[in-house]
Amino acid sequence: MIEFKNVSKKYDTGKEAAVHDISFTIEKGEFAFLVGSSGSGKSTIIKLMLKEEEPTEGKIVINGQDTTYLKQNKIPYLRRSMGIVFQDFRLLPDKTVYDNVAFAMRVVKATPKHIRRQVSMVLSQVGLADKAKVYPNELSGGEQQRVALARAIVNNPSMLIADEPTGNLDPNTAWDIMELLNDINLRGTTVVVATHAKDIVDRMNKRVIRISEGSIVRDKKGRYDSED
Amino acid sequence: MRINSLIYLISEGIKSVFKQKKMTSASVIIMCATMFMFGVFYLIGENVNFVMRQVESQQGMRVVIIEEATENDIENLQVDIQRIDGVSTVTFVSKEEALASMKNWLGEYQDVIAGYDEDNPFPASYFVTLTDLERNAEVQEKIKALKSVDKITSSNDTISKLASIAKSLQTVTLVLLSLLIVISIFIISYTIKLTVYARRREISIMKYVGATNGFIRGPFIVEGMVIGVISALITLAVVGFSYNGTLSKILESTVIQNMTVSFYTFDQLFVKILIVYFILGIGIGILGSIISMRKYLKV
Repeated sequence: MIEFKNVSKKYDTGKEAAVHDISFTIEKGEFAFLVGSSGSGKSTIIKLMLKEEEPTEGKIVINGQDTTYLKQNKIPYLRRSMGIVFQDFRLLPDKTVYDNVAFAMRVVKATPKHIRRQVSMVLSQVGLADKAKVYPNELSGGEQQRVALARAIVNNPSMLIADEPTGNLDPNTAWDIMELLNDINLRGTTVVVATHAKDIVDRMNKRVIRISEGSIVRDKKGRYDSED
Repeated sequence: MRINSLIYLISEGIKSVFKQKKMTSASVIIMCATMFMFGVFYLIGENVNFVMRQVESQQGMRVVIIEEATENDIENLQVDIQRIDGVSTVTFVSKEEALASMKNWLGEYQDVIAGYDEDNPFPASYFVTLTDLERNAEVQEKIKALKSVDKITSSNDTISKLASIAKSLQTVTLVLLSLLIVISIFIISYTIKLTVYARRREISIMKYVGATNGFIRGPFIVEGMVIGVISALITLAVVGFSYNGTLSKILESTVIQNMTVSFYTFDQLFVKILIVYFILGIGIGILGSIISMRKYLKV
């Protein structure tokens, strides 16, 4: 569960988009799109969820825990409850597909046995069981994003946050990724997707939170820009 | 922390030592230079102290006994001197022994003291050594006040000179060492910064999947420690060889042979210097890696 209560964020430098008085609740197991043009404040909201940024005002509650004033050394544990996927995949080029996924488990100190079992499982879940020993540069963009997804869910997070996950992909591949996200959501994981891929949002027919100039202008199930 | 996590951290750290060969060798060279310089001053310092202790025990004062003293007076005097605080040993030197040692010292120029055998002009004396050279003046005062003492001869100057050399050497070593340590820490932190920079993607991913700062720091601290240990071992070998070489040269010279002092062999100092080098190497390595990481842990 993600809850924003009257959250505002101002940047001193003005380089990034600020948000003003944002409130919304995403329930456990929900699938929500965060849409808006670039510079609207989507990424800022994602950063606030990840505790990469502190809100200037308001309150953020994640899984029942108030993270507004979370101590620096508690942040890693908060992030273990969320999987994160980025537009540019962010895979490690000198590690194989398997090691890229296993890496996320190693850093949270999982046992080797647990790692072996869990990594094979998520790789087959994203359809890359046969590519385990391949390096990222030998994969297509869609396959790389699948690896990133596998890495995001390998530690069984309760929510998955994707920031423009299909931004670098062609429409067909993008749709495959979206189906995978839907599949992950059906298994009980809360999924939040920031995007401006209109076609996909329309086709998915899920909850859409629309951001414009740092404020929520619409929060409703349906299409990308349907008017009431 | 689990064993397999520890193994992971160590293997990652060692891997990056060999990945960044150029910078690693640069920092190993700088650290070796630091430790070598420190080693030179440390060894000189240890030896000066060692020689000083020897001189301290040799250089005493000669308490000349008055001609008229009876055997009883002489014996009482020994007891009185021994009682003074700061006195280490009191050795009686008879008139005959004084003459004999003079003869020995003169060597082929015996005619200077020809005829002295019949009428020995050398007075009997006590040779007094001190536990602590700094109390020289104080002890002299007390002895002078005693009965049957004629005069006191001593070589004050040699002693105080040696003491001041030792003291200034200590200061120089300390100043130089702290300076070199600071330089080393910066250079090693720069080296590790390159690794950190090369792995910044990895670090940011680690942050996003919830790795703690301690875990992220681990491999870099290992890298710093490995550089430190390698440098310590290299320097130890270099210092050992050059010390033994220099020492044998010094011992060949007649000046040193005439002085009855000895120096440490490297073996005697080995364990001490090994420990100091490991502490230095590992300490500099850890500090350098912590400094180099600070910026990248803020995500």
